Formats: sequence, structure tokens, C-alpha cells
Amino acid sequence: MTTKKLIEQIEGEANIYFDMKDGVVDFATVAFPHFRGLESILKGKNIMDALVITPRVCGICGHAHLMATVRAIEDAYKNAGETVVLNEKIEKIREFTLVMEIIQNHFKWIYLTIIPSLAKLSKSEDIQTPLKGAFGASLATKALAIFAGQWPHSSYMIPGGVTTDPTNIEILKAQSYVEELISFYEKEALGLSLEKFLNLESCTEFNTLEGDIRDLEKALVKEEMNKKGFSHDRFLVLGKHNYTVPSKLKQTRVFSVDAKYVEDVTTYSPKEKSYAKNAQYKNEYYETGPLSRMMAIGFPIVKNMHRRFKDSAYSRVMARVFELAYLLKHSKSLLQSISIDQPSYLKTADINKLTASGRGVVEAPRGPLIHEIDIKDGLIQKYKIITPTQFNIGSSQKPSLTPAQKAMTGLTQEEALFVFRTFDVCSVCTTH
Amino acid sequence: MHSKQDKRPTLLWIQGVTCNGNTHSFLNLPNIDQLLVKFRLLHHPSLAGEYSFEDMAACRFKCDILIFEGAYDPLMKRGGVLLSKIVEHYAQTAGHIIGVGSCASFGGMFKASAPERNSGLIFNEEIEYGPLLKYKSKVINIAGCPAHPEWISYTLSMIAAGKKVQVDELHRPIELFSNLAHHGCIRNEYFEWKVDAVAFGKKEGCLFYEYGCRAPMTHASCNKILWNEVSSKTRVGTPCFGCTEPDFPRQNLFSTKKNMSIPVDVPIGVPKRSYLTLTGIAKAFHIQRLEGKLIDYKKTD
Repeated sequence: MTTKKLIEQIEGEANIYFDMKDGVVDFATVAFPHFRGLESILKGKNIMDALVITPRVCGICGHAHLMATVRAIEDAYKNAGETVVLNEKIEKIREFTLVMEIIQNHFKWIYLTIIPSLAKLSKSEDIQTPLKGAFGASLATKALAIFAGQWPHSSYMIPGGVTTDPTNIEILKAQSYVEELISFYEKEALGLSLEKFLNLESCTEFNTLEGDIRDLEKALVKEEMNKKGFSHDRFLVLGKHNYTVPSKLKQTRVFSVDAKYVEDVTTYSPKEKSYAKNAQYKNEYYETGPLSRMMAIGFPIVKNMHRRFKDSAYSRVMARVFELAYLLKHSKSLLQSISIDQPSYLKTADINKLTASGRGVVEAPRGPLIHEIDIKDGLIQKYKIITPTQFNIGSSQKPSLTPAQKAMTGLTQEEALFVFRTFDVCSVCTTH
Repeated sequence: MHSKQDKRPTLLWIQGVTCNGNTHSFLNLPNIDQLLVKFRLLHHPSLAGEYSFEDMAACRFKCDILIFEGAYDPLMKRGGVLLSKIVEHYAQTAGHIIGVGSCASFGGMFKASAPERNSGLIFNEEIEYGPLLKYKSKVINIAGCPAHPEWISYTLSMIAAGKKVQVDELHRPIELFSNLAHHGCIRNEYFEWKVDAVAFGKKEGCLFYEYGCRAPMTHASCNKILWNEVSSKTRVGTPCFGCTEPDFPRQNLFSTKKNMSIPVDVPIGVPKRSYLTLTGIAKAFHIQRLEGKLIDYKKTD
């Protein structure tokens, strides 16, 4: 018998269909019912307009879409023999705002999604504090908006650079927001300094924590999430940034990667029409996102966690908690090293004469985001978007299960619904 | 859960064809707790409310204030129920209906998903059209892509205080949409003296003449009530794309449409002839201060 579960409070809407056997999930399929047709909206438009349109794919990670677009255009320039060389200042400002968006996302996910879902699973009556997540996120987006003008839906990255030309005043202001954010995370979530938290070496040391993360970790163990929610133990990182390394991992073995091997395949959704497609790397499914990125850089505590608990729901959740801390530290060093005297923008060849194809790859909050474009005389001939949720939460047939399908198998429905959320579902991106 | 004595107005936030951008914009609101405490939140896409999504889709309750985000698609289903049924159910008895964002106001970005049928709640671009026309006196449009959190907060606070929100002909609150995005732009002096930006990424120059800036033609208070409390598009050298107006998104957003090298659109209410005369005079001057660098770090060494 199949049971349908409607998933709410994700970005958009999704339905899961569970086939149960002996009280546990034998097989699950996922359907994303909405469609918006952004790829066809883009067709025929001036490629510069994509800088305004693609951030509107997603309200929570639109900045990653902006960067994917700008990278795709710059790649097209390169393929046309007009390589765009960016300076350090441009790269650092772009990376800073991208990182702030990831931090914003993780704050919301911890406080608005994971803590409440876990409380629901364990029937805890603890008072929920979702607005802590909104507050942390709003500090991150303030720091972001100093350079990008606003969040959501900025279009400040353009081929050849950024539109902003900050002074030291802006940098200092951003630094002060980042400091405030770090203090907030230390005080509310960690009960420990960021530095000490990042230097923890073993999960056994988590009992030194005192804040919300301590409660979260305890609840994960209580629900045995360190023994549940295992996926394929395969990880994929594709975007090039200073905070991670493009690579794929099978368990702990590391391999090099190239985004050209990503393909999307048809979803298996027998009960309901789904507008999503599954993304694969060389015909295999990989988990993407914070756990993958932290594994790719061999972050000590995450490696320790993986050694003990593999790619369990526990590791997936805690890796994200650590990525947030790690990115806060990284964002501080980015701000410290921006040279304001370098140009913010380097003139590119006339875009209205550009005829080429390009691919932009970015690590968005949930993993690799890929934009592929064909441009003719500056006009979009074809625009294709592959989003991280397509890697994590596809819906496929046995035996080749997607990471989320695999992770939900063998669990009770309530557990499976929690594990589903550990992937941080973005339905709006998936059904662009 | 609420008690029977709880007399606070009830609030419901539902979504049509959307990117969730208004939801996330709203979560940026400073002191969001002070606003939310004025209402009983029945259901929201990301904050916990009294009713589940399934209850909402099944039309199991009523609300005082209905917030709608996204374009309206009559064929869309939420939780298996036609959006048209859901919207009608809640709109019927709501005292106030708020369209947040340009999609809910005019169709916006996601009108293009199905141009033949998608629209805003009471407008299809600037033409009166949509599912809630019969309730139009109750509808307030907080246009913008996304809507500014403080604009949403202003509107809700006015309603909670029992004050009337006066609106313009497109049902946008006049206290928020009588200004132009141009007001408060830190590049205003370049606009006055017609000194155009020579490229992106510079502190100097106006983006109106070459780079598509719509701020003088756009009703919005972006440079008065700053974004994320810190900035705005034009303050970081990005042109205004006119996202609060019914014709958003236009095309060729980074370049100014011209006819015989004269901008096709000139600032709202300014006769073209006056604009051109003034431009001619202003351009005849050469003002060294405005033509040079605003800050020359090397000179100060």
C-alpha cells in the first residue's frame, strides 16, 4: 500500500509516496508538482537580462543563481577567445556575498526547519525559537547587501566584475555585521567560541557545548540519527571557490571532477506528475551540499564524524552546523584582504556580438548549481539549469536510488520525513 | 494555540506561482517579533502557524488578513486543491487582502510562466483583471520584486492599529509608493548635471542615460527606506529595473532605450521637451569636480 505525504515548510511544495513493508519504508518516490518554466522565459532575451531573471528562480538562493549566470557568461567569453580575467577584489567580493547567502540559508534551516522537525519527531515540547534563525539570517543579508545593494534578488555581479565600488567604510560595516553574527552564533547556538568549536576533533567533545546545538546534537543521538538516514556514501562538489575543492568522494577516496559529466535524467514518479529531473554524475547518484563540501576539504571533525557515523542523518546535520562556523571564519578573512584600490569592473568585449556557449558552476547552499547557455549575438538561444536538489532529492527506480530515496529506506514514515529534510529541500529551484 | 480571549487579527499567508522571495524578504524584517505579536498567525510558508498546510488547502478556517504571494494561476493546485477555490474561500471573508510582491500585484516575473492565464490578484500588468476584482476595495498591493520587508510591516501595522492605508490607482500604499526610486539616490548630482556613468563598477556617474536605470520612472521608496537597512541597487551602482511597476520585467534591462540618441522614457511628469532643453544646457557645462574621481586615494598619499 502506498501512503502520500505532503511536505510543507520547505521552499515550495513536494509530495512523497511511501511503499511500506513490515512497518518501514520499502520504497519512496518524490514528486514536485509545480512548474514555472524559467528556462523558456529566458529564451530569446538579451543574455544580460538573465542577471535579473535567474535570481528570481529562488528566494533563498537567488544569489547563487546570479553567480552561476555571471560565470556562464564569462565562460562563454572564454570559449569565444575573449577571456575575462577577474582581479582578486572582484573574486573576493563575489565570494563574500555568496558565502553570506549560504550562512543565511543555514541559519534558517537550523532554526526554522531542523530543530522544529526533530522536536516533532521526538514529540518534544521544547519551546521553538524560529526567529533566532531569521535574526541570524538577517544579519548575514545585511552584510551581503552592503555590496550587493539588497537581498533577495540582487543583480550586482556582471560579466567582468561587480557594479559596486566599496570604500573602507562599507568593508568596516560588513566586518561589524560579521562580528555580530559570530557573537550571536557563539552565544545562542554553540555556547563556545567559534575558534574552539572549529578546533574540536571528536564528536565525544560535543558535551562541552552549551547552546542550541548541544540540544540538537543530543536529540539527534536520542533518535538514533547517527545510525539512520545513510545514503550512498558518495559525495560531489563541483563549484570552484576558496572554501571547498571540486571533487567527488566514494567513501573517503577522492577523485577529480568536471561538471561536463553531469546529466539530468527523467524522474520516476508513477503516482503523480513531477516537474523535476534527477541529476547524475557519470550515471551515478551523489549527495551534494555541506557534508560533501566539508568531506572534500577533509575538515577534521567532519571526517571524525564520518568515520564513526558515515553519511548518516546525524553527519549531514552536524556538517552543516560546522560549515556555518567555518564560513563565518572564512568570510572574516575575505573582508580583511579586499584591496579597494583594484578596479571593480574590467571592460569586456561587446556582449551584443558574443556568440558562444558557456557553463557556470557554483556551490549553492545545497550543492552544485549549474547554468548552461548558448548565446548568439548576445541573445539567449538556450538556457539550462541544474540545481543541487536535483542531485539529492531525485526520484528514481530500484535499484538505482537517489540519495534521499536511499536515506529514507528502512525507516518509519516519521523518521523518513525527518531524514528527507536533512537534505534541505528546495522545491522552487528544482522545478525552475 | 490561542485562547478564546485572543482578539488579535488573524493572518494567513498563501502562495501562488512564486520563488518564495517575498517570504524571505519578510524574514529580513528587523524586530519581526514585535510585528508578529500583533497577529495570530494561522499559516505561513516558513513560520509555524496554528494550522497546517493541509488544513489551509482544505479551506478549514477563515482569516482577517489574507496575504498572497506569487502570480495567480487559475489552474494551479496547492495541496491538491485548485488555487482559485482557496483564494476565493479566504478572500470572501477577509477584511484585508494584501498582494505581496510584483507577481501578486501585476503578474510580474511569473506571469510569463503562462502569459495567457497568469495575472496578479486584481491587475494583469496595469489592466484591471484577476480573481479578486469583486473584492478590489479590500486589496492592497505591495509591489516590488521582492516586496520590501518594511513595506510589508508598515501595511500590517497600519491594519493592526485600525488605520486606513490609502492607496494609488494601482492599489499601492501612497506613503510607500509616492516617492520615486530616484529620490535619495546618492548619484543624484550626476543626474542633475547630466554626467553619465562611463562604465559599471565606479562611484561616479548617473546610470539613467546609458545603463537602463528606471529610478526616475519608478514609484518606490528604495532609497528612502533602505534595503536590509543598509543599501539599495543604485547605491551599489546597479541600475533600478523598475520592479515595483506593472511592466516589470521589461527587456534589455541594463541599457537605456533610445530614439535618435534621446531616451525614450524621461522622468515621470516631466515634458520631454523640458527634459531635453535642460539636458542640453547641463551638458554644455563642464564641471571638473563631477567629471573627475569622487575619491582619489592616490592624491591623499
